[in-house]
Amino acid sequence: MTGADTSHEQWLVQIDAELDGELSLVERAALAKHLVTCAHCAGARASHLEVRVALARSAGNPHAFVVPRPAIRAGTLALWVALALATGLLAGWVADRRWGGPGGGATLEESRGAIVVH
Amino acid sequence: MELSSFTSVILALSALQGPGTRLTYRVRVIEPASVAPRVLASGAVSGPLDSDMRLTLRTDTAEVEAFFQVAPTVGDTVSLTGEFYMRRLVGRSRRGLPLWEEDSYRRLVRLAWSDTARIYPFGTGKRGGGGGGGGGARRALWVELILEREFAGGEARAEEAFDLVDSTRDFRLEAVVRPRRARVILNLVRGDTVSAPRPIDLIPEEPPRVVRLVLKARATTLVVSLTRPDPARSARDRALALDADIICLRVARPDAPQPLGTICGRLNNVARQLPLPTGDTLAATFAWPGWR
Repeated sequence: MTGADTSHEQWLVQIDAELDGELSLVERAALAKHLVTCAHCAGARASHLEVRVALARSAGNPHAFVVPRPAIRAGTLALWVALALATGLLAGWVADRRWGGPGGGATLEESRGAIVVH
Repeated sequence: MELSSFTSVILALSALQGPGTRLTYRVRVIEPASVAPRVLASGAVSGPLDSDMRLTLRTDTAEVEAFFQVAPTVGDTVSLTGEFYMRRLVGRSRRGLPLWEEDSYRRLVRLAWSDTARIYPFGTGKRGGGGGGGGGARRALWVELILEREFAGGEARAEEAFDLVDSTRDFRLEAVVRPRRARVILNLVRGDTVSAPRPIDLIPEEPPRVVRLVLKARATTLVVSLTRPDPARSARDRALALDADIICLRVARPDAPQPLGTICGRLNNVARQLPLPTGDTLAATFAWPGWR
């Protein structure tokens, strides 16, 4: 990998950090100066921005300032846990009625002796 | 001339319950095989008309004990009752111990004399072996039973004959006869002195009899009577009539209505003892009565 490539990858990391609001003013100024001279990095920044706009739209908030992070609400989590437990219990009960316990298989009457006259 | 139904019943019962009638249970234990069914055991139980039969079949995963009784009915038919007591291995506990399932039930069929009844002790096995516990092929075995009657010169004892072809199997056949009479041999014992044996034939529930025993020139008079034991406590013992040959000897003094005690035992020639207030011990040995 050449030194120019390494430098370019570093600028791409800086672009990501800038869009996340994680750069200092000095770093932002340096990046702005580089973008003026590097069309490739400017294009990459535009591309990153478009991706973020798409993510914001899919989250239902196209005018957001940053990409909204997915949030798991406590109520929703509790509902799903309860639903999974109920399903498991129901399946276990059905399986126990059908196959469970010792002595399963044939019915009691089928397992009993019989006398047939010929 | 046509007989009334009541007369027919009376004639049938009198013919069947005559003192000279002998009943035979002819049995074959058969296992199905790919080519032809295989006879695992065969035998017969015969005796007076009130003789019953106890059949025991054991495998690794199941035990069947069945008690068969015959009751003559109108015409040329007979009612066969089977009391079944079954134990099946249904699995193992979490600690690795075997878990057994117990079941008891009754089957009743009517058949003609010399008809063949097929008994499926482990079920007919129509659905993969008839019951849990595995051993499907072994479960499908059956017992062929033929009931025969014949007229004998007198009342004889019960007899059993059983031929086990496959010795790896655990089958048993027993005649069960409730004694109508019993031979009781009485002795008085004190220390190392024993009185002369006093044999008497007793009939259960008949009026008490007075017996006089002499030990060291001293006579002891006792009133003895034979009774049937109380019904067995366990359902299995009752169903299989395991106490059929147990009788009880009630011993009392002639001048006191309260008994001195009761000795119960099987008719197996084993002496049983009852301490008396006089310091002597009464030894009673129960046995089947002699041939008549």
